[in-house]
Amino acid sequence: MEIYLQQLPQQLINGLTLGGVYALIAIGYSMVYGILGMLNFAHGEVYMIGGFAGWWVLHLLTRNNEVLISAALVISLMIIIAMAVSALVGVVAERFAYRPLRNAPRMNLLLSALGVSIFLQNLVLTYQGAKVRFFHIGALIPEGLRVIHIGPAVFSFMRALVIAVTFLLMGLLSVMIKRTKVGKAMRATAQDLEAASFMGVDVNRIIVLVFLIGSALGGAAGALVGLLFTQVDYYVGFQAGLKGFTAAVLGGIGNIYGAMLGGILLGLAEALAVTFLPSAYKDVVAFVILIVVLIVRPWGLVGEKMPEKV
Amino acid sequence: MKKAIIFALFIGILFCLTGPGYSADVKKGIHVGNAGAFTGDAAAPCMEIFNSAQIAVDEWNAKGGIQGVKIEHVMGDDAMDPAQGVNVAHKFVSDDLMYGVVGPPMSHIAQATLKIYGAADLATITTAASKPELTEQGYKHFFRVNARNDAHGWNCALFMKKNLNAKRVAVLNEKVAYCENMAKETIAGLKKLGITDIMQDTIVGGAKDYSAVLTKVKAYKPDVLFFIATTAPDQAIGVRQTKELGINTIFFGTEGARDKKDFIAAAEGAAEGAYVYHFAPDIYAISAADSYVKKFEGTYGTLSGFGPPSYEAMNILLTAIDQAAQDGDITRKEVVENLHKINNYKGILGFPITFDEKGDLEGGATYFFQVSGNDFKQITVMTGK
Repeated sequence: MEIYLQQLPQQLINGLTLGGVYALIAIGYSMVYGILGMLNFAHGEVYMIGGFAGWWVLHLLTRNNEVLISAALVISLMIIIAMAVSALVGVVAERFAYRPLRNAPRMNLLLSALGVSIFLQNLVLTYQGAKVRFFHIGALIPEGLRVIHIGPAVFSFMRALVIAVTFLLMGLLSVMIKRTKVGKAMRATAQDLEAASFMGVDVNRIIVLVFLIGSALGGAAGALVGLLFTQVDYYVGFQAGLKGFTAAVLGGIGNIYGAMLGGILLGLAEALAVTFLPSAYKDVVAFVILIVVLIVRPWGLVGEKMPEKV
Repeated sequence: MKKAIIFALFIGILFCLTGPGYSADVKKGIHVGNAGAFTGDAAAPCMEIFNSAQIAVDEWNAKGGIQGVKIEHVMGDDAMDPAQGVNVAHKFVSDDLMYGVVGPPMSHIAQATLKIYGAADLATITTAASKPELTEQGYKHFFRVNARNDAHGWNCALFMKKNLNAKRVAVLNEKVAYCENMAKETIAGLKKLGITDIMQDTIVGGAKDYSAVLTKVKAYKPDVLFFIATTAPDQAIGVRQTKELGINTIFFGTEGARDKKDFIAAAEGAAEGAYVYHFAPDIYAISAADSYVKKFEGTYGTLSGFGPPSYEAMNILLTAIDQAAQDGDITRKEVVENLHKINNYKGILGFPITFDEKGDLEGGATYFFQVSGNDFKQITVMTGK
């Protein structure tokens, strides 16, 4: 028993960082589903492209393991540019692959999203190759700052950064949705697209905005994971997308607070599962939780029970 | 009628004498094959294998070939696809002047073509296929100059006990055939050596985050962490997160980690002092290999671990063909028999080569390296003792 207790603080830190990343990805799924009722399967690829954008920024600003400008600025630029590039990819995909199908059956949209996913993956494969790209983060943080010891647990600077940025971005999003006029319009569009447009909401603009914000958060997650785990390749989007989607469903798809909660719970569940079981059961535990939640609360942990539309 | 019977008998006797294989006058020519994935993702190591064998062939030809006949080196590209590997095997088998093949270097292709080469008695010497089952199916024509996984597992266990002084070991393996097999063989070896404090768990290749399972390793407090993953980037994450979590243990990685860029450089200092094993030696430390290294680097560029065993394999094959050709003609069967007779062949690999009756290397060698600065330093070689 002691051997388990000893691991707990560290596993909570591990789970919280991973969960924060899942949450950022899940928000993108949830926002798009909330408004269009579609699963944007290309979202994992948007995350992957964010990772590559972050890598390029770091790569271009590093010479012989020394950063050319201040490290804090490099990290900020990595996250901001990753968000911008991913946002652009998300918006372009919406304009050319989803908008023309807006009135088509849902299945067509789903297939289109799958197509975008395969397209993006192969695009990156063609231009970046199958080789793993390494984030040489040694130049960014001085040796002494890399890890902080808290009792038996170790808290690395990058983990602290990931958690801080994740919660900052989620906080900003909450404020925007609750307090601003655009946020109100987004909520209205999510509730009823047609009614919102009758009330004078420019729903096309809102949908573009939703793709922009969701994709930007996915891109931020990509860059943060690059900083944390130091590698990106063209295939990382698949697994991450699957986990983000699971987190969104777990929390209640369509609800961004659900996505945040679902992500963090999923991350924690995975880390704790490894503590008590062979790590091969990690995903088994994660998906058993998902199935149980779906049986007991089909609308997810936070999602609202929707009346059947007639 | 009588004439016809005599003729038939004569043909029959002739057929019995030659067997199902081909017998040919040396003067007609001598072909040797090289089967491997010369296009696709594994093209770089496979071309190194081909070019190294080419150096051996060129050296033989410069000395006058075999019985004055120049040797022709034929490439057979399987593109890492077993179906194409089968095509290559059929092509080589149907070439009457083909007396032996270097390759295939990959276990799954070697498995797919085993029967075809075997039925034709065409000798093959692989330089990298390490799956133990390949030499457990009763074929006589299959040889390897690299050790089997089970030999590596035993050697790694020996290394952990003798050189790393391990008493408590954690084994993490990726969930793929080669890694699972390696973990199984190593754990069996450790137990045989009296080390029973062992924890084993698994990782998923390409997952990029092993911190949860490494936290578990930390609580176990092992002397040595044997991290069995296929690729260098995964090993780099393993060693980096081991350091980050402050796990006080010796990191010991597998073959894939012997990569300066994707392991040492990628880990940004975290790999310093880590150990890896590899099936090929540090060729720069063996003086007998100097001339080969110079020739290779002069013509083809930098050398990794895949070339030297291939140069050795081709030389051994040509030695066997040369012996078979002494009487003026060669059969494939003779070549296979001569390979079985190879005894203490001293080439460039730093240890004498003898094949056992299965075609495996006797006392299969495993080399151990330690990361020092930006390079690997060879520590020792284990041959099962």
